[in-house]
Amino acid sequence: MFSSPSVRRSVLIGGQAGQGVAKAAELLGKMFVRLGYYVFNYRDYPSLIRGGHNFNVITFSDERIFSHDEDPPIVVALDKRTVDTHKAEFYITGSFYTPDRGIQINTNEALKQGIPPVSQNVILLGALAKYLGIPKSIGKEVVGELGPLNVKAFEFGYDRSVDGERAGRIPRKGLYFLTGNEAIALGALAWGIDMYIAYPMTPSTPVLHFLAKRKEVVTLQLENEIAVVNAALGASYAGANVMVGTSGGGFALMNEALSLQGMSEVPLVVYLAQRMGPSTGVPTYTSQGDMLYALHAGHGEFPRVVVAPGDPAEAFRMTMEAFYLAYRYRVLSIILGDKHLGESHYTMLKEEFRPLVRPERFYVFPKDGYKSYEDTPDGVSPMAVPGSIPFTVRATSYEHDEYGITTEEAHEIEKMVEKRLRKAETVEQAVSSLKPLDVYGEGEKVILSWGSTKGAILDALKGLKDWKFVKINYLKPFPRREVMNVLEDAKRIVIVENTSTGQIGKLLAMETGIITEDKILRYDARPFTPEYIRRRLV
Amino acid sequence: MKLSLETKAENTWCLGCGDFGILTALKEAVTQLVEEGYKKEEFVLVSGIGCHGKIYDYVDLNGFYSIHGRVLPTALGIRMANPDLKVLGFAGDGDTYAEGISHFIHAARYNLDVTFVVHNNQVFALTTGQATPTTQKGFKGKSTPEGKWDEPLNPILLALSAGATFVARGYAYDVKHLTWLMKEGVKHKGFAFIDVIQPCVTFHNITPYVRERIYKLEDTDHDPSNLEAAMEKAREWNYDMDPNAKIPIGIFYRAKKETIEEGFGRKVPFYRMEKLPKPWEEVIEEKRIV
Ligand SMILES: Cc1ncc(C[n+]2csc(CCOP(=O)(O)OP(=O)(O)O)c2C)c(N)n1
Ligand code: SF4
Ligand SMILES: [Mg+2]
Repeated sequence: MFSSPSVRRSVLIGGQAGQGVAKAAELLGKMFVRLGYYVFNYRDYPSLIRGGHNFNVITFSDERIFSHDEDPPIVVALDKRTVDTHKAEFYITGSFYTPDRGIQINTNEALKQGIPPVSQNVILLGALAKYLGIPKSIGKEVVGELGPLNVKAFEFGYDRSVDGERAGRIPRKGLYFLTGNEAIALGALAWGIDMYIAYPMTPSTPVLHFLAKRKEVVTLQLENEIAVVNAALGASYAGANVMVGTSGGGFALMNEALSLQGMSEVPLVVYLAQRMGPSTGVPTYTSQGDMLYALHAGHGEFPRVVVAPGDPAEAFRMTMEAFYLAYRYRVLSIILGDKHLGESHYTMLKEEFRPLVRPERFYVFPKDGYKSYEDTPDGVSPMAVPGSIPFTVRATSYEHDEYGITTEEAHEIEKMVEKRLRKAETVEQAVSSLKPLDVYGEGEKVILSWGSTKGAILDALKGLKDWKFVKINYLKPFPRREVMNVLEDAKRIVIVENTSTGQIGKLLAMETGIITEDKILRYDARPFTPEYIRRRLV
Repeated sequence: MKLSLETKAENTWCLGCGDFGILTALKEAVTQLVEEGYKKEEFVLVSGIGCHGKIYDYVDLNGFYSIHGRVLPTALGIRMANPDLKVLGFAGDGDTYAEGISHFIHAARYNLDVTFVVHNNQVFALTTGQATPTTQKGFKGKSTPEGKWDEPLNPILLALSAGATFVARGYAYDVKHLTWLMKEGVKHKGFAFIDVIQPCVTFHNITPYVRERIYKLEDTDHDPSNLEAAMEKAREWNYDMDPNAKIPIGIFYRAKKETIEEGFGRKVPFYRMEKLPKPWEEVIEEKRIV
């Protein structure tokens, strides 16, 4: 079946929350990557702890892929509801149900061999691995991370399954398999983050869990997001490289302090993992609906950076850039991700992670006097850490003079406003030498998008003629000139976005004056798939 | 050389405001502490927003003029990043007991090692005189022309039940006593809370009421290690205008407990650690499958 290696194939694993669907899917993904395949693992789960229905779609191919498919032909069902919900050509089930197409593994018998019911996921994974032709040794090695009992469970399923397809080995090295959330956490570690502060909120919580386990970083969970962000500013003022993470509701609580960042110029990095709103919305499902909000959150006018990674390698790089810009220029950096990027596994190549910035510390230790808000030509005041020098170091929410003393004098106010404006220009220049946008493919027609839609668009592009994909990486500062150049003689500009209003179109109009009403929007809280985009493009 | 803590900022507090007493006590406490060996640059002042917050401008110390109600989380961040710094928080009663009350309870619970001074004038002063949670029932302010309907909160009792390890009350017009309290607060390891009766001459002047009823716990046989006794003392005045009340000032309670900084093993300021992260290739290595 895999004789033509470029065939893109998908498998669905479904069951109730608590049955280990996600784990089985991740392990299957790892097995395929071990064999040299490119894998994408999409996770779909409701907001509950036990019961319900959740599933993963694992898509694999010999060619680069970054997205999943709808309706996979092979379904591994850990419960009856999965069989009823997903139409397929081939089912793999346990004792609970006999499918008319596919195989049933006698999981009751496994019980008698001391394999606990919770290992049903691994038993059926074994059956699936055999059916797909994954060598048993590879499967066992991968499952080994769950301990010997699960290896036994895997073998139990494997030995009772049937031959289906032949997954060959592809001689390929240097494949990485990870989620966007993991990449953001790793990017922060690669920068040398000192503190991560958060209050749990899906889909940002995995970063909190990931970093809490790491000795290199102090991870703090505080009483609410207001405490989180103000503590982060306090820590940053006192010389820590810090990041906070949250989703829309928590981000809303942080707003007043974002504005405090603008005035105090204390560096701050915020990871905003979007989910479907408004309000509590659909907590475990994806959306890009907070984009314009992230760009404007916080009262008053002040510079900021908003980066929008589209895959884990970008998330890794851009997290480092977010730190670099925040600490080099004393601005607010927002890393704008979402559920889809954060919780899907992607296969990435080493070179794609290569950072554009190097970890650095920008503190100064002056010997003969210090002004916390020195009025410099580039608008950036060198930052000193209180206690590290024999001079007073100030941070303030009030308008202030160069020393940080409160002022209400007209000309002093003007001077500081202009300092911050110049700083914004300086940041804009700095960003132009990073990668504020990417263009994929060639053609006279353009798909314009940003963030986690990248994967489905890239995969859709393969079946399209005369289309290119313009992906905005920096929503702020917006790469105005570059975008205008690349859109100059576009025959069509189609926006693809996980929103109901097409926010990137509004941003484009605001920043460049270019208006397009051509939109492919998805707002059922599900991510795009390549089929979905192709269907809608014609 | 005499320590100078003056700034060029123009003082805009009303003549006679209790905030002057707190400012004087702060300068005196820091001056004495520096004489005792503390370093001036180790002190950081964090203030809230209100009349009280202006103290940030009036003293030449490291400072973070934070936003309304958020002195404590800001202070927490500073302490976790740099445990060498001695943090003094100056907040209003509106700041602390209205806008930011959750942080107050949690900072006490964490035993955050800061000295936290509340300018308790029982009024939102900078916004021209509205009732706060500690204002007495019946207070006729601009937002309560018929009189405030609810009973005041007793912050001393709240701090004691939230687990604060140093709970005190000062009086803005007794500068010497307040200076002593601030110094004790700085030396205390853990959350040192000082609620200061700070008469607001413009919107809430209770000086005559206080003067007649005030007494010092140090002049009694009060045992500050006894939590029950502290609670009892705290109940002697409920921030109402009860004519029969007595108003104790001084240290109600003092105890030893692990601080949040110790809990997280924070010893060295991050900026001095100069820990280089691993090269990026090594950081991502854990996610390489083949
Ligand atoms: C979030 C927010 N809400 C409201 C205000 C307006 N405000 C400024 S000062 C103040 C009252 C301050 O009262 P208090 O903390 O008791 O300080 P005081 O002026 O009495 O010293 C308020 C409500 C603000 N600055 N921020
Ligand atoms: S209004 Fe009250 S608190 Fe404010 S400065 Fe005047 S007396 Fe002091
Ligand atoms: Mg007040």
